[in-house]
Amino acid sequence: MATLTPTLTLVSTDIASDELNFSVTDSLNITKDVISVSKIQLSTGNSTIGATSYGKSYVYLRNTDDTIAINIEITDGNDTIQLGAEEFAFFPWTGGSALIAFSASGTPYLEYAIFEA
Amino acid sequence: MATTTATVSISSSDLMPGSPLSITANTVLTKAGVTAGLTQMETGVRSIVAGTEYRLGPLATEMAGDIHDVASYLYLCNTTTEDATYYIDWGIHETMIGKLYAGDWMFIPWNASDDAAEIEIEPQGGTNTIEYAFFNSDFILTTAA
Repeated sequence: MATLTPTLTLVSTDIASDELNFSVTDSLNITKDVISVSKIQLSTGNSTIGATSYGKSYVYLRNTDDTIAINIEITDGNDTIQLGAEEFAFFPWTGGSALIAFSASGTPYLEYAIFEA
Repeated sequence: MATTTATVSISSSDLMPGSPLSITANTVLTKAGVTAGLTQMETGVRSIVAGTEYRLGPLATEMAGDIHDVASYLYLCNTTTEDATYYIDWGIHETMIGKLYAGDWMFIPWNASDDAAEIEIEPQGGTNTIEYAFFNSDFILTTAA
C-alpha cells in the first residue's frame, strides 16, 4: 500500500475584496493499479486513457499544449471536461465509464496518471 | 479581470520504490478560448442529506453568452469526518463518475455545453458536508417572479 498526497491551492488577490488563498490536501491509500505520469499525443479521434476495468480511482489530467483544447468524455456522448491550454484536473473516478480523450483540433499532448485505491 | 491561479501538487514517497512521485501543475483560470481572467465566483459550505440528487452550479442556460459553452471551474471537497459509508457521488447529468469520501477533493474545468451537462451530487450514508468553489464569468441571476 502506498500513500498519495494531493494538494490543491487556489489564489487570487483581486477576484473579491476578501483575498482568496487556501489549500486543501488529502491522504489517499493506493493499493491497486497505477498508471504513473504518462504523456500521449492525441488526435481528434477517441483515445481511451482509462478503461472500465478500474475500480475506485483518482485521475490526474493535464493539457500540455499552449493553445489547443483537449476534450475528456466520461459520460456517453458528452465532452464533459474541456481542458483548455495548460489546464489540469484531479478527480475521483469509479471506472463505471471509460475515460476518453480527444483533441479539439491538431495533435496536442495529454499528461495523465491514474491511481486505483 | 481577476487573476485566479490554481495549483495542484501530487506526491508519494512509496508509490514506486526508488522513484518518489512529485507532480506540480498550475493554471490561471480564464474565460473560454481567451486569456482574460474569470470575474465571478461562488464559494460555500453546505450540509446535504443523503438520498437526494442535487444540482451544483448553474445550468448552461443560466449563463450568458451566444453559445452556452462557458468555461467554468469547480472545486468540491467532502469535509465530513465520518467513516467510508459516508461519501458523495458526483457526476455529469445522469452518469455517476466518482465518489468523494471523507476529506477527498476534486478540481475540474467544466464544459457547460448544454443543460444536460449539469453537475450532480448525491450524498450517501447520511448527512455529508461539502465545501465548494465555483468560478466562471457568465453566471446570470434568475429573474425574480
